[in-house]
Amino acid sequence: MNNNPTSQTPKRTIQYAYVFGFLFLMAFVKPAPKMPYKKAGLTEQEAALHLLNRFAFGPKPGQVEEVVKQGLENWFLAQLQPAPDNEVVRNRLAGFQALNMPTDSIANTYLQPAQLIRLAIKNGIIDKDSVDKTDRPAYRDAIKKMQSDYGYRPLQELQRELINQKVIRAVYSDAQLQEVLTDFWFNHFNVSLTKNQVQQLVLPYERDAIRPNVLNNFSSLLFATAKHPAMLLYLDNALSISNENEYAKRQLKGAQRLLELNAAKKMMAAASISDDSLQKMDAMESQMTAQIKRRKSQGLNENYAREVMELHTLGVNGGYTQADVTALAGALTGWGVRPMYEEGPLAKRFSNLPPAQLVRRGLVVEDYFLYSGEKHDESEKIILGKKFPANGGYKEGTEALAMLASHPSTAQFIARKLAAKFIADEPPTAVVEEMAKTFLASNGDIKEVLLTMVMHPGFWAKAKEKEKIKSPFELAVSAIRATGTEVVAPYQVFTWSEKMGQKFYFYQAPTGFPDRASFWINTGSLLNRMNFGMAIAAQKIPGFKTNLLALNQNHEPESVEEALQTYTKLLLPVSDQKENSERIMSIVRAQNIDQKIASATKDTGGMQEMQNQAMTQTNNTPLKSMAQVVGVIIGSPAFQRK
Amino acid sequence: MANRRAFMKSGALALFATGISGLPRFITEAAAGTQMLPMYKKNKTLVCIFQRGAMDGLMAVTPFADPALQLARPGLFMSPTAGEGGSFNLDDRFAMHPSLKSLFPYFNSKNLAVVHGVGSPNTTRSHFDAQDYMESGTPFAKGTASGWLNRAVGLLGHAPTPFSAVSVTSSLPRSLYGDADAIAINNLQDFSIQLKGNPMAAGKAASSFEELYDQTTNELLNKTGKESFEALKILKSNNIKNYQPANGAVYPNSALGNSLKQIATLIKMDVGLEVGFAESGGWDTHFNQGTTNGIFARNLKDFSDSIAAFWQDLGERQDEVTLMTMTEFGRTVAQNGTGGTDHGRASCLFVLGNDVAGGKVYSNMGSLAKDKLEDGRDLPVTTDFRAVFSAVAENHLQLKTNGNLFPDWTGASLKMML
Repeated sequence: MNNNPTSQTPKRTIQYAYVFGFLFLMAFVKPAPKMPYKKAGLTEQEAALHLLNRFAFGPKPGQVEEVVKQGLENWFLAQLQPAPDNEVVRNRLAGFQALNMPTDSIANTYLQPAQLIRLAIKNGIIDKDSVDKTDRPAYRDAIKKMQSDYGYRPLQELQRELINQKVIRAVYSDAQLQEVLTDFWFNHFNVSLTKNQVQQLVLPYERDAIRPNVLNNFSSLLFATAKHPAMLLYLDNALSISNENEYAKRQLKGAQRLLELNAAKKMMAAASISDDSLQKMDAMESQMTAQIKRRKSQGLNENYAREVMELHTLGVNGGYTQADVTALAGALTGWGVRPMYEEGPLAKRFSNLPPAQLVRRGLVVEDYFLYSGEKHDESEKIILGKKFPANGGYKEGTEALAMLASHPSTAQFIARKLAAKFIADEPPTAVVEEMAKTFLASNGDIKEVLLTMVMHPGFWAKAKEKEKIKSPFELAVSAIRATGTEVVAPYQVFTWSEKMGQKFYFYQAPTGFPDRASFWINTGSLLNRMNFGMAIAAQKIPGFKTNLLALNQNHEPESVEEALQTYTKLLLPVSDQKENSERIMSIVRAQNIDQKIASATKDTGGMQEMQNQAMTQTNNTPLKSMAQVVGVIIGSPAFQRK
Repeated sequence: MANRRAFMKSGALALFATGISGLPRFITEAAAGTQMLPMYKKNKTLVCIFQRGAMDGLMAVTPFADPALQLARPGLFMSPTAGEGGSFNLDDRFAMHPSLKSLFPYFNSKNLAVVHGVGSPNTTRSHFDAQDYMESGTPFAKGTASGWLNRAVGLLGHAPTPFSAVSVTSSLPRSLYGDADAIAINNLQDFSIQLKGNPMAAGKAASSFEELYDQTTNELLNKTGKESFEALKILKSNNIKNYQPANGAVYPNSALGNSLKQIATLIKMDVGLEVGFAESGGWDTHFNQGTTNGIFARNLKDFSDSIAAFWQDLGERQDEVTLMTMTEFGRTVAQNGTGGTDHGRASCLFVLGNDVAGGKVYSNMGSLAKDKLEDGRDLPVTTDFRAVFSAVAENHLQLKTNGNLFPDWTGASLKMML
């Protein structure tokens, strides 16, 4: 294995050079190799739409034509480049407080409820006997006051920023593929806000471990997630310790010796000693015993080791055994989190440690990652047939992960998962094989793997079938983009996504959301997809501003039929969307709508009052039927597919 | 009577003819009962309640006869006393908390069983991890994709219907993750095509949607669309909002009370509910949990009264239903420094049903003396939760499990069902 992390930087540079070289070639030297969509029977427009549906959160009005103009290949290659936020995104994120805060500041600003209570008790703000007694409002007020007095902020604000930034970037970022992949890789390396211990860390996790790496090498993602506090706590590796090392043995022996000494002293002095000092000795004894017991009762935790092989790299059938899981867990013992909470006992003790102590205790610090040699299992291990000699220390874990990152099973597993995301729930084997080959040849370069995919006829062969179903988040964002909706309240996307079955950032299991149609579509969620369509079109989502007239260059359709034609074209651009437009049109034609509208205006009776209301609200009945038309289009089967 | 096609066309038309015809015809037709034959045959239903936060089983059903308990929790110990407000002596060893008053009669009538000392072989005391393990049913594997109740649905031996598995929560619980269809509905009234402030437009759009989904070539969307609209009509016509509980049942106006009321509604509507799921929170009593009064007592009363109302409401349908509660772990035997209890190991759970061998506390609990406790502090787990879950689910739902309900588990089910 040659890809331990120290050798990564030069290698990455080489790969960048390679990609840039490739780009250069494509752009200037000879006509860029064409994506093979024509053979699959797609027009350039259809192909552009397909790219926008799969590698972006759907097209904005007019964007299909823009991509055609730019050249499909050029658009895609540009998307493969990581990019900073554009101005629109920067402006919308300007007021966000946590977004640029270092992780330890976040951990000391957005305290967890339990931390707040303890702090309030410690500071004498509330009496410990009053907690959970009847006077709850008073006690809540006291905590609130402490929060503002001490400059703490509610944890909900942090989660709100996390959610809102995701929405804002998905809607407004030009680096669409980067956002699509951030969604994808976060889900692949899932952590969850449902676990209290990681609530403060999910924002830094996506920001620091996921987003900067989504177009990088797979191994950089793997290492960034493996060492991030969120993952270390979510899958419990931070709890995994071994006593099979010199430091622990010394410590245990020392404690044991103190105990014996104490016992001997007690015996010798029993006759003459005062009760008071005897009590002190007893206290010391029980403290020591507890310490030894605590140390011995903690142990190996295999959760991360198992899931990193099953879910992150090799896949469940990737050819590892339980013995490999245990050995890898051993190799990763001591991988933990640097204490950050300043009111807790550990952070101070840690920051007071002189550098010599760090070394003596075998500590390695990288950002918020902390490796503790005193918790590492120093025995020999065999992982996937490779021998890791005794006393491998920190390096043994990094070597093991590097081995996983470049394993052929990983290449297969990741290629397949990417293909399932971008091609079809059951992707064609031929493409997957090619992608896996590229993965191995390029040291897991995600850009190269994606390039192989779009250059393969298998990617385009299925394009017409529009087989992938949008996730609820994708549905919401694509509707916003297609209608040019101005999003003042991004959080509404979260609210609606939850209703439609995707409470993002809250998926409990490390598997992440299953990425397949049958998971997204069920009776409960489907009705809410339709409700979402109607709500966004009818301006019923607070903080969403949809201007349907502006979408059609302020031209008001003369009839419902025209409205249908116009908005079907706008929202489902390109001719292959026959299913929807023709179907809706046939319904309309069969009913002779114009006549009905004429009679509607004359209609009186019971409906008159409601109509008047509607008129005064919008002062525009055509606008209302436009909203209904658009709502039906967004809720229709065609708009669920991509 | 218009046939289905014609009916749909007229419905679809309604969308585009603003305000001409009043209510779309499909709603009136549904209301008139033309399509109201029950879609599904009657099924057995298993209802599960997850008590999140770890209920103190030693207080809910207290082993009062063990003197070690009184020593360990001088401020929390309760012994059965005669008369109003006292706890209920079950068998001279265990007593039910006074807040369980409304459930006690079912213990007497042998429909309610208590299992004590239940928990997971995994010793984690993290809420998240313990809930995760209990809900996936695999106490040593985080990555299990499915939840145990979803696997139960898959083992019913017949194709599930859209309402086979319903969780009355805002999002799907871990227990129901998996391949079998399962839905989360926070409120049955939300199960509709709706548009705030414009019910008429919603009704019209509904018929357009129905036709569009009826015609789509995408099989999944087509099938689910059909099921959705059929279900919607059934729910609409049964008028959820004005649901009247039967037999004088009064549900507490609480989250759990409302959840169980909706589950009862679904059961009575014969939509094919086989697994219902609800949650109850507030069990993490680190501070001042109280005894006959206080936070624990209030919470337990809500729990008890909600279940009792549900059971009463079911009336003659009780034979079809079994209800089981669960919580991720129990709490320390000793009280802590703030009048509460900390995270422990085993707790207790309740199973209510006419096929339950009730009136009994199932327990292998030993002495609570400090040196007999797990890590010197916690009630040891003497019954694996899977022994109870499998006993209840397999018997009541007649599952064909072959060990698939709890992979990697070779233990025996608890004999507690008739």
